[in-house]
Amino acid sequence: MAKTYSNISSTNPIGRDGNSGDLRTLPDQKKTPFILVVTRNGHMPEPVMEYALNVADRLKYAILAVHINTLPFFRDGGERSMLFSLALEESSIFFEEKAKARNVRVEHLGETGKVGKVVKRLCYTEKRIEFVIIDQGIRMEEVTSQSPVPVFSVIYTRPETGEMTTNIHYNPMNRGELSMSTTSRKRHVKNCFVFGGLTAAMYATVFTNPEVFMTYLTKGGFYALLPVAVVLAVSYAHGNFTNSFWSALGIEGSKVSAPKQTDIRQDTTPSAGVRKDTRPRAEVRA
Amino acid sequence: MHGPVNEVIQFIDLSSYSIIFLFLVGFVGGLVSGFIGSGGAFVLTPAMMSLGVPGTVAVASNMCHKFPKALVGAIKRYKYGQVDIKLGLIMGTFAEIGVQVGVMLQKHILDTWGQAGSNLYVSFIFVLVLVIVGSIVMRDAMTTKKKGGIEVAAPLAKRIQKIELWPMVTFKTANVRISVWFLVPVALATGMLAATIAVGGFIGVPGLMYIIGATSIIASATELVIAFVMGLGGTLIWAYYGMVDIRLVLLILAGSLFGVQLGAIGTTYVKEYMIKYVMGTIMLIVAVSRFFAIPKYLNELQVISLDNGLVGILTQISFAVMCFALLIGATIILVSLFRARSLEKVTA
Repeated sequence: MAKTYSNISSTNPIGRDGNSGDLRTLPDQKKTPFILVVTRNGHMPEPVMEYALNVADRLKYAILAVHINTLPFFRDGGERSMLFSLALEESSIFFEEKAKARNVRVEHLGETGKVGKVVKRLCYTEKRIEFVIIDQGIRMEEVTSQSPVPVFSVIYTRPETGEMTTNIHYNPMNRGELSMSTTSRKRHVKNCFVFGGLTAAMYATVFTNPEVFMTYLTKGGFYALLPVAVVLAVSYAHGNFTNSFWSALGIEGSKVSAPKQTDIRQDTTPSAGVRKDTRPRAEVRA
Repeated sequence: MHGPVNEVIQFIDLSSYSIIFLFLVGFVGGLVSGFIGSGGAFVLTPAMMSLGVPGTVAVASNMCHKFPKALVGAIKRYKYGQVDIKLGLIMGTFAEIGVQVGVMLQKHILDTWGQAGSNLYVSFIFVLVLVIVGSIVMRDAMTTKKKGGIEVAAPLAKRIQKIELWPMVTFKTANVRISVWFLVPVALATGMLAATIAVGGFIGVPGLMYIIGATSIIASATELVIAFVMGLGGTLIWAYYGMVDIRLVLLILAGSLFGVQLGAIGTTYVKEYMIKYVMGTIMLIVAVSRFFAIPKYLNELQVISLDNGLVGILTQISFAVMCFALLIGATIILVSLFRARSLEKVTA
């Protein structure tokens, strides 16, 4: 699902010259080809900006910078999305200034959803996109599988410049993995407490009032639906709790074997047997 | 209509020993079920009865804990892309019919030969099915292991899939196209076995692997859907007669949902033949346990004459061997899971 932001949106992009309006309604800019620059962060990294500006300057192309919020429904009360929007605005102004110095036109978009789908949609709706530049943290295959135009990724290792005074030295190769696992671990611990509490409350209700439950649940007849409803409710809470419990302990399904399952299924394709085509067909005899 | 309800049902008082016991048995049973698709519940009925729970209440409560456990396991394994829902639902529907046929057959045997005759029939089917199917599964697991752990489609399943008999059904996840006429007997047998020995999966999973042609991962995961459908139907019937003790159900469920999640996680780490290996091991050991139970029923039918003390010991041995089977299965699963996990961490 893709949703445009109200402040910086596809219908109201911020142009280099400060004009805003629909991309499709600017006749003078219609023929200028675009480079689509994609990041899934609120801030566009400087190396990506620099690379895109260099290429755009050399080829006389314009830039369409897209910030994709891939987790619009992240369960933190909308805090992440709000911070994302703020970062996007800040980054847009910064990019704008850099582009102005190089005399390159840049437009900004805030999108939500899957990166591949957003790129595909933009490539088809904005016909002038010549190629795509992706930031680190976006899987190349995800974009190349959807994009009708060539895709390039920017690899950078130098630390980003910014207002941060404390240097955090992450290995750039492991950075995404580390932050993601920390986030999901926190989420599992939170779920563990929420569903654990709910489960405990349900068990406490049943075991502190056993007479009431035993009387109604063993009445038989149409009361048969009651035990089924009770176990389904308990299994929902307890199932989620146990799931989060093992995940919070770091015991999760193997990531290595995930493609293995698909391979196995693909390997068995011939076992279903190829049906004989019995339809009548014309035969050409020369 | 309310035949069994007319009797006064004694619901037991729960001690801390029975609570811990049920939780642990539930956990181990859930672990095995999450891994091989079923087979964790057979020990629960005798375990509950050993605590003094009446037989019918034990069966009803076991059934009632089985379907939510199967549901949670199926959801977990669906996330891993292992479940063929369509196959599970079709098989489950026919298995439900199989359960009703099995119950009628049981009732007929009970009317003809009495309780001891019925028990003897159950034990005979137990030993027969478990020895034959268990040996096939075990042999296949060992052959696959020797070949380096690569599973090949069963030759019988390949032949059956080539037979074009209307109506043909395609199952995308299982990657199988087969006539419904071959699904129905497997599903009916699964249901009938479930009605007889409470574990339909001992026919369901091998049937899915060797007759229908699904891989052991898909078969064991899809069996959870079948168990859910059968369990839900069975629970509604037992609850209709007011036999479900919700306290027992919740206590077993408390442990089994921990187990079923872990068992499902285990399937993503181990090689496919391990599922067959665990299943074969459990089936063969359980067959031995029922073998110890047979003299008791023969004694009741006055075919042989045994001392009551000896009968009691044999019954206890039978139960202990059954528990041993489940523990062995659980140990293999846990060891394989944690070994594969640490290996993956090292190689990562």
